Amino acid sequence: MPELPELNPVIHGKLRLALLSLLAGVEEAEFTWLRAQTGSTDGNLGAQLLKLEEVGYVVADKKFVQRKPQTTYRLTETGRSALTDYVRALKQLLGASINA
Amino acid sequence: MPEEMTSQDLKERLALIETMIAEGRKQTQSWGWTFLLWGIAYYVAIFWAAWGQPLTIVGQNYIAWPITMITAIAVTVAIAVRRTPQPGTKIGRALGSLWSCMGISLFLLSAALGSSGRIEAHTFVAIVAAFLGFANGASGTILRWKAQIASAVVWWITSVLACFVSLSQLTTVFLAAIFLCQIVFGIYAMTLDARRSRPTGEVHA
Repeated sequence: MPELPELNPVIHGKLRLALLSLLAGVEEAEFTWLRAQTGSTDGNLGAQLLKLEEVGYVVADKKFVQRKPQTTYRLTETGRSALTDYVRALKQLLGASINA
Repeated sequence: MPEEMTSQDLKERLALIETMIAEGRKQTQSWGWTFLLWGIAYYVAIFWAAWGQPLTIVGQNYIAWPITMITAIAVTVAIAVRRTPQPGTKIGRALGSLWSCMGISLFLLSAALGSSGRIEAHTFVAIVAAFLGFANGASGTILRWKAQIASAVVWWITSVLACFVSLSQLTTVFLAAIFLCQIVFGIYAMTLDARRSRPTGEVHA
């Protein structure tokens, strides 16, 4: 019987998973847009994005637009690949649960 | 499979991924207001240019078109800058570059024709309608939006008709095309934007 895959614990958190999935559909997105899409609080969202940034799954670009700070996030190739692997593992686990 | 993960948990996570990717790719930018704004701007320019005279497209008041168009550009930029920022997508960039390049080309050509005195109502309407048909057609094809493709067809018909009709007929045709493709289409697009901008559900860590 083939060994079942481990799910990446960094991506497994629902908010982090939602953030990576959102960023997979766009080239880049602002903090405020991510907050609106997830309905998360500033503090929680900032903490989860920082964690994703630390592992190299997203990159942040901080700048000032009309004298207001603006942080834009983009999914890295590592992040995209990790998300793809996570989806593959999920499907494999789901298949195993159906066949169990 | 980890003991704490049920089949339902796995399905929920897959559904979350699908929903979020679709949410990101959804064309969230709302530009219906620009069609309405520019429709009103065209009407202002036409009526101002012909003020006190029989209604023609170019008119005798030569500052009417440039001032109205420059004001419309300024208002469009001012409103766009103040709106909630949207994520960058390839489709968004394609549409943005298409419309801005069309706008620059049309503005430069109209300004050059106007300042050289070589502008004529039929040619002017044919050019404007052809440009707008091109931009709406390309935009509608990218978005697979039949209403915008229909709008492009109206502009293309206007462009062809402009070459054959009389001056009074030309005014009627141009005003009708603006009403249909800018005012009516703009209000329709704004209605769709308003329906679409419903908030999504919360996601917790």
